[in-house]
Amino acid sequence: MLKKAVIAASICAATLVTTPVFAESVLRLDEVAVGELDPAKASDYADSILMFNVYDTLVLPQQGGPGHVPHIAASWEVDGANYTFKLRDDVKFQSGNTLSAKDVVYSLERMQALGAGLSYLFAGVNIEAIDDTTVRFTLEQPYAPFVASLVRLPIVDMAYVKSNSDSEWGEEFLSANGAGSGAYSVKSHNPQEETVMSKSDSYFLSVADAAPDTVRLRYGLEAATVRTLIAQGEHDIASQWLPPEVVQALAKDGAQLLTESGTGAFYFKMNTTKAPLDDANCRLALSHAFDYGTAVQMIAINDDISAGSPATGAIPVGMFGANGPDSVMAQDMAKAKEYLAACQYDPADMNIEVTWIAEVPLEERFALLMQSNFTQLGIKSEIKKLPWALFAEQVSSAENTPHISQLFVNAVTGDPDTLLYGMYHSSTPGTWQSPEYLNDAMVDKHLEAGRSAADDAGREAAYQALNARLMEIAPTIYGFDRQSVFAASNRVKVPALSDPTQAFGLDGMGFSFRLMEMVE
Amino acid sequence: MSAVIRLLLRRLGISVIVLIGVSMLIFAIARVIPGDPARIALGPNAKAEQIASLRAQMHLDESLPVQYGHFLADLSRGDLGISLYTNRPVTKDIAQFLPATLELVFCAGIIMIMLGLPLGILAARYRGRWPDHLIRVLSLVTVSAPGFVWAVILMLLFAFYLPLFPIAGRLNDSFDIARVTGFLTIDTLLAGDFAAFTDALHHLVLPAIALSLSGIGQAARLTRANMVETYNKPYIEMAQAYGFFPSRIARIYAFKPSLIPSLTIIGLDFAAMLGNAFLVEAVFAWPGLSRYGVAVILRKDLNAIMGTVLIIAITFLIVNIIVDLLIAFLNPRIRHSARGSA
Repeated sequence: MLKKAVIAASICAATLVTTPVFAESVLRLDEVAVGELDPAKASDYADSILMFNVYDTLVLPQQGGPGHVPHIAASWEVDGANYTFKLRDDVKFQSGNTLSAKDVVYSLERMQALGAGLSYLFAGVNIEAIDDTTVRFTLEQPYAPFVASLVRLPIVDMAYVKSNSDSEWGEEFLSANGAGSGAYSVKSHNPQEETVMSKSDSYFLSVADAAPDTVRLRYGLEAATVRTLIAQGEHDIASQWLPPEVVQALAKDGAQLLTESGTGAFYFKMNTTKAPLDDANCRLALSHAFDYGTAVQMIAINDDISAGSPATGAIPVGMFGANGPDSVMAQDMAKAKEYLAACQYDPADMNIEVTWIAEVPLEERFALLMQSNFTQLGIKSEIKKLPWALFAEQVSSAENTPHISQLFVNAVTGDPDTLLYGMYHSSTPGTWQSPEYLNDAMVDKHLEAGRSAADDAGREAAYQALNARLMEIAPTIYGFDRQSVFAASNRVKVPALSDPTQAFGLDGMGFSFRLMEMVE
Repeated sequence: MSAVIRLLLRRLGISVIVLIGVSMLIFAIARVIPGDPARIALGPNAKAEQIASLRAQMHLDESLPVQYGHFLADLSRGDLGISLYTNRPVTKDIAQFLPATLELVFCAGIIMIMLGLPLGILAARYRGRWPDHLIRVLSLVTVSAPGFVWAVILMLLFAFYLPLFPIAGRLNDSFDIARVTGFLTIDTLLAGDFAAFTDALHHLVLPAIALSLSGIGQAARLTRANMVETYNKPYIEMAQAYGFFPSRIARIYAFKPSLIPSLTIIGLDFAAMLGNAFLVEAVFAWPGLSRYGVAVILRKDLNAIMGTVLIIAITFLIVNIIVDLLIAFLNPRIRHSARGSA
């Protein structure tokens, strides 16, 4: 009886299955939930993906190498602290309006007025429209990474926003709608479910026919759900936040693994104002005691791909000033003991507080690894779990900041300045990026040189010196260079995430849908 | 004025007091949990002056009683404020997400009643025999695991190994249905799209079962226990002595008096599902209010937290009033006592 009922129920359910017939290609991927679409507030991975596809920027990172190439801008000139950009005259917004210098001015002023997301990149920047296709930025002082910062200035359709909103900056309108010139336009946005985008017909660059016609960016999917959806053929690219075990399982089932690297690293940040970590010898002892090899193994997906590669120093490989791939950090207990002997504090009196962010369970494993490594030196440690909100509040004062905090930090513009200045300059202590509270004149000097150097060679030299100094005083245990891994179905080709010569070197830009190809 | 209306008015009066208490409590709790809402909303790189400006705009730099005063003043105009998470009015968010959760909870509630009560009746009627033992084991199994565990198990069985049911969202991408009520089972019918209606039902099956399973076991056990107690009453013996059919005794003479305590618990279970739906909504990517509630708590979005909790509290109170009225309808003694004490 029961068996019959089960069979009957299965048949009924099967008949209810509605197989959709898509006349168009659909790309489905997932990310952490994005509450709103306002490009001026984009700073996380998911809202960056949206921003890069719905909006355009003056420049784009060069694919497969350093530097930037014109995008909305046709060309630019630098004169000290003045940057003059000539815009293309063939760019239309999705509304049909022509993109002009006034839109660039509005977009920058809007970002500065809202003061959210990455608006700090443009603090103190003045802008004026010289004519319809020329715009000039005036900085308070020369800033070498300024062009790189422009990848974070999405150009908004001023006329369209103003015609749809009573407020000057159209915050409510742009929180659920798009007003860009990007290759994809927003069709619908549900902060709890998904944002649906479709390929724009009026994009100023040619877009391959094989690029997805519709993109559904789904939010907040659980690992088990993603795995099942990919198995059912109803999902294409999983987010990088899947546990390594699930990525491994998907890879075993035939999923391809896409990667993005070179933009950030995983750091164990030491509070340099708190005993015993206010003594560089003690910090160096902990740095040498850390088992870098095991840490990288812990995040390995398979023999070839891992969510990180061994660090070579403070600066990730691929950026200005990075050490060569041969200078891999490794555990050295003999040196650790040597430094500990030179430390002014008695190891027996030490009790190092190691924290991990509650929202990132992987960090607990690293905390346990550190505890085990420090025990080998005879140093006691205490592991504490901290929710992100509490951590962000605690780090605002040096006394409340734990001895060791674990953080993923990335260069939001792809330039090392946005990775390192906020972490190590003495003028920026007490943020989530800088729980080290480092105050070192030489580090400041090198960071400032990296900002003001006139050419790439000068910047390379400045960051090399910075890297050496940071290795010398060890405010941080440089865990590993980060590599984001995405499990994906074989229905999609993503050259920017699978071919290093096509990679952008900027988090999220590899998800430019116009450069993807749907195979089926 | 009838006794039932007096009962209703008394319950409504108590509900208003409860709501004020809940709002004060949540208002205070939301403000003492760690994390600065302005800092979270503006992002990790915001400057101190920007954070201070937003705090002032949100009245966070004023005392708690003054902040509560602002809240009540806004609430009296039907304004729950702007969500820092979605940057939309909280009322708009609730209007969008509440129907999804209510639809899920109604379906789960119906499944719980339709399966839990008959299983309880069956177990009581065959007490001490194999159907009773089987139902006891099933009930214990369903009660012993929370809804999200069942969600994952059901997903594995009926989506991963046997791909019979969809596991994400409320409707297939291929349907474009105008949202009138927000209840997709209703909106699809209003649109006259039967295929979309069956698809909406199809999407409801696994989440609704996962959410209802522990309630089914609880309802079955409770109904059985109450009915077994009723079976020991002399009037049942008398009915048996008169030779009434066992099914008639079970349905009419044993079940009705046993339903009253079960109904109270089922009502509470039903209302509690609103809050408990979060994990099931997360597993099945169900865009409902419970999931929204957790998202806004994690972001310390004060206005949205208040709005969500108030809506859940109001629904809880409404369900309780309905249960009270049903019990009064079923049990004349309660009706009479209500009249007496009014």
